[in-house]
Amino acid sequence: MDEFEEILQDFLIEAFELIEQLDQDLVELETRPDDLDLLNRIFRVAHTIKGASSFLNFDVLTHLTHHMENLLNMARHGDLIIDANVMDVILESIDLMKALLVKIRDSREDSGLDVSGCVARLDAVANGESAPAEAAPEVVVQESIVVASVEEEIDYSNMSDAEVEAEIERLVAQKNAEAIAKHSTQAPAQISASDDEEPDYSNMSDAEVEAEIERLLAQKNAEAVAKRAGSPAVEIPVVQSAPVVVPTPAPQPKQAAPVAKEAPVASAVRRSEPKDEGESKGGATVEQTIRVDVKRLDHLMNLIGELVLGKNRLIKINDDVEERYEGEAFLEELNQVVSIVSLVTTDLQIAVMKTRMLPIGKVFNKFPRMIRDLSRELNKKIELEISGEETELDKSIVEEIGDPLVHIIRNSCDHGIEVGDVRVASGKDEGGTIQLKAYHEGNHIVIQIIDDGKGLDADMLKQKSIEKGIITEKEADAMSEKEAFGLIFRPGFSTAAQVTSVSGRGVGMDVVKTNIEKLNGMIDIDSEVGKGTSMKLKIPLTLAIIQALLVGVQEEYYAIPLASVLETVRINKEDIYTVESRSVMRLRNEVLSLVHIGDIFEVERVFDNSEHAYVVVLGLAESKIGLIVDTLIGQEEIVIKSLGEYLKGIEGIAGATIRGDGGVTLIVDVAALMQMAKSVKSTVGNESNDAKKIGVKNSASDYCVMVVDDSKTDRTIMRKSLEPLGITLVEAVDGVEALNVLKQGDHFFDAMLIDIEMPRMDGYTLASEIKKYNKYKNLPLIAVTSRAGKADRMRGVESGMVEYITKPYSPEYLMNVVKRNIKFNEGL
Amino acid sequence: MSEKLQQIISKQNKALVGGDNQKVDEVVQLVGFIVGEEEFSIPILSIQEIIKPIEWTRVPQIPKYILGVFNLRGSVIPLIDLRARFGLPLQKHTDETRFIVMKNGDDVAGFVIDRLTEAIRMPKRDIGPAPDTISEAETMIDGVGKQSDRIITILKVHKLLERNF
Repeated sequence: MDEFEEILQDFLIEAFELIEQLDQDLVELETRPDDLDLLNRIFRVAHTIKGASSFLNFDVLTHLTHHMENLLNMARHGDLIIDANVMDVILESIDLMKALLVKIRDSREDSGLDVSGCVARLDAVANGESAPAEAAPEVVVQESIVVASVEEEIDYSNMSDAEVEAEIERLVAQKNAEAIAKHSTQAPAQISASDDEEPDYSNMSDAEVEAEIERLLAQKNAEAVAKRAGSPAVEIPVVQSAPVVVPTPAPQPKQAAPVAKEAPVASAVRRSEPKDEGESKGGATVEQTIRVDVKRLDHLMNLIGELVLGKNRLIKINDDVEERYEGEAFLEELNQVVSIVSLVTTDLQIAVMKTRMLPIGKVFNKFPRMIRDLSRELNKKIELEISGEETELDKSIVEEIGDPLVHIIRNSCDHGIEVGDVRVASGKDEGGTIQLKAYHEGNHIVIQIIDDGKGLDADMLKQKSIEKGIITEKEADAMSEKEAFGLIFRPGFSTAAQVTSVSGRGVGMDVVKTNIEKLNGMIDIDSEVGKGTSMKLKIPLTLAIIQALLVGVQEEYYAIPLASVLETVRINKEDIYTVESRSVMRLRNEVLSLVHIGDIFEVERVFDNSEHAYVVVLGLAESKIGLIVDTLIGQEEIVIKSLGEYLKGIEGIAGATIRGDGGVTLIVDVAALMQMAKSVKSTVGNESNDAKKIGVKNSASDYCVMVVDDSKTDRTIMRKSLEPLGITLVEAVDGVEALNVLKQGDHFFDAMLIDIEMPRMDGYTLASEIKKYNKYKNLPLIAVTSRAGKADRMRGVESGMVEYITKPYSPEYLMNVVKRNIKFNEGL
Repeated sequence: MSEKLQQIISKQNKALVGGDNQKVDEVVQLVGFIVGEEEFSIPILSIQEIIKPIEWTRVPQIPKYILGVFNLRGSVIPLIDLRARFGLPLQKHTDETRFIVMKNGDDVAGFVIDRLTEAIRMPKRDIGPAPDTISEAETMIDGVGKQSDRIITILKVHKLLERNF
């Protein structure tokens, strides 16, 4: 049973791969109904599936594919002209075949779907239109079928199963018999049509026929290969006659000669696309691809993620070490190792990412068929132009992108492209065109959908939205053209006058936006009334490891996916205006609404009286917002980790990442943040009020100063000098203790007196550590030291000290400096 | 510390000897800890590890008793303050403060406790049910262990790890 299961799996994988190509081929076929290449390919799919399904005992599927095969076979012979009606039936049967395959995949059986209606139609089309024995080169074509089938049966031999061999034998025999039967009926016509010396098959013994077929097969093989390589000079009759018969005229063998030469070249080329027709499988070439379970790739990706975190950490440690042991010889070596590790990690990450890449053609393939169906349904002439289908992107994204594209294209067909007469009346071609393009742009893939339809009318969109109560008139007036285009993504919006089966329910475009946002993508719409619409989807290449912008607010850090960051600007606080209790700023010609990251994430903001603010301009899908942050830390590669079951679904947080220092940093969910921003009251500019409250002093003892010195004597001297002020004094013996006291937050310090030479952590280090905290940005740090050199003073200033007192000092001097810095008595 | 360890080992040994005398009794192994004034305990097998306090990151929009998340060797794990969880006033972390990382299936979380006491071996017959006054569905108390000189509340780990917001 296991063996059966294995074969079944192979069959399903192969069948779905074949079908993927099929839709595109069929639509192409409709425009070029006489393309034998295409017909052969389509026929092959039906045939392969039929062969395998009969072997696997899927009777319904076999039944259906058998009739499809018949019909396609006739088309290949030219017995049947493929017009739209025939195509409808074929497409119907293909859909049914797909449904059956899905059923087999899910439930291991193919019963429960009724194929009889479709089979009847297939037969009806076949019988109604067939005109047998009209074309001369019938025999040849017929034999190329046998070629095809033999080639295909080689697929089975891969399974290396005696039964499969037997099956092949049987099928070949059956084919041969069919061929012979056909030959015999058509023999007279052929002999008269071509001046070939065609052997009289009907008089031959079975063995002779076999031999003859064998011989012709060899020729046809070469011919088929050459044809596939696209050498138009080779016409069927030429090849047919060339190597076979003695009395052929001289020029023909000459024409045939290049064919023979071309054949090996062509087949070599073909080998580079191994799954094309299964021909190379039987040959000497080994398949260059292996199938890997996606789970394994995911696991690999996770491991790489851990490695990237390790790398980040290593780089951070390297920087620290560099700082501490400046000029040491081993640093050079360490540097080298770190850079090699970091380089290799990056390469490895790219390599693994590439294994997960799929060409976007996988998604694009279904659209020609969709457009065809839609244009028939809507009675419009629509042509689809696809380019860049080889562009690759991550598997997980390929899976997500299909639905949004379906909606956009349906929308373009239904609302965008006008009906034929309207188009002609407005001076356009009767047939509309939709272009589907994909290309890379930096770390993004851009998918563009361009139609040359009637375009979007901003005023009409606004009008509709007001009617439907999606926006108010006031909002509409304030809207720019681009914002108005964005209205089509609002839930409940539809411009179609009436709901059709194609679109107009006002659900589709909403889905587009949600899905694209889920992928951290952006949508950009451009449109001109009467000219058409262009929609640009910009999507990051991968999801698991992303580039992020790290920002700080007070002591907290957040990572914002760089894909959503349009730009960062530094502004003056005066540039922030308040409109209807919302903060806004003017950014070039646009008005950008602002929100403080602290308001979104409930960060306790102490005081911040710097004049400047940093604004990170976020763009997602078609909306924009400015996020005010305290500091910009920089860009970093981060690995997205989930917060786990316990904390899942926190609004505004997409996950967490582990930073180089081992700490956890939360990743901002930009889509959610934009939603939250709408309900957040502006508090920008309110901080200064809070700051005053904290700063209120009622008595001298409300002032608090920390004394940091390792010498007890020095601490006592300072204490004695400051006691007359009546202020609260807290002592610490070194930098580490001072930092801990500060962090505990039991006291609110107005100033710190810091000795420079201390064990564990010196004064400079302490000062720069303290300045890392936003809330201590304005805490006056006063150095009290016996180091009086200019260089020492400079270092003091660099590390953030505001005053520099050299020992020894008079008590009055110290008192005055402290008084000045804590603004003693000013607030009383 | 080694003294304490010695004590624990000797106590365990005693318990082992005691266990020999009463073979029929099933014994539950617990780890005891203090939160506020009370001693609590949880089954030793639901403890992944016990670590000294490390830095954590605050997470917005969650109940106050969840301090945030911390990095435990590459995993991001939520940190819950049991004082806050039990409605006790917050206290600064001391040298004795520990994070107990508890697990129940795939659910893992760190819990801040005031200090550890000891590993306890307790015969099942000494464990009584939770007080009747507490509703069965809501309670985090699995049972109450009675020892000669004290009472230890045994907590339900799965209840502690359950998201309730």
